[in-house]
Amino acid sequence: MAARRDPDMGIYLNHFQAMTLFALVISIAFGFLSRRGASERFKYIAWSLILFLLIGVGIGWAMYPFSR
Amino acid sequence: MTGEANTTPENATSALAYQPRSEGVAIVIGAAGWLLPGLGHAILKMWGRAVACFLTVGLLVLIGVGLRGNIFSSDAGDAFGMLGYIADLGTGSFYFAARALEPLGSDVAHAGGDYGTRFLAAAGVLNLLAALHAYEAARGRKA
Repeated sequence: MAARRDPDMGIYLNHFQAMTLFALVISIAFGFLSRRGASERFKYIAWSLILFLLIGVGIGWAMYPFSR
Repeated sequence: MTGEANTTPENATSALAYQPRSEGVAIVIGAAGWLLPGLGHAILKMWGRAVACFLTVGLLVLIGVGLRGNIFSSDAGDAFGMLGYIADLGTGSFYFAARALEPLGSDVAHAGGDYGTRFLAAAGVLNLLAALHAYEAARGRKA
């Protein structure tokens, strides 16, 4: 599961790792831009991250019947 | 809010940050935010947002380059390529850093490279959003 680094291939991330990393970074940026105060920001980041992941996995499941 | 509460250094900085500035100054602040992610907010003394913008945009660019995503150039050829170029250029100076950091070129034959392209585009769009936020904050319309 851990990300590995190959000089020729760059970083390797699997689908879930890439999605989680993307969701985390975007959630942090949105949290800092749209909320003031540490508590408000933390709540926003946590909710945004959870929703990103749930919706991402949900869309993945919804597409599964059409994947082959 | 009492007068005493407004005299703390934190509130004084905050009040300075939310003072409406002229249109020209706000445009310069927005442009600075685009050129170097977080600089617009730093000028407004919004330190948390400045650091967050710099780190998140920088991290997205680094991951995008590490995944060997496609960094579009101005001679993209088609509309989608041009859109990708505009999105990538949204990272400002980080666009040129990304080009310098990707000596092997892009590799979109693998899923990782495709993800990297999206990370780079998202970094640019996010920085444009942050620059717009800095502009709005400078005009006193957004806190």
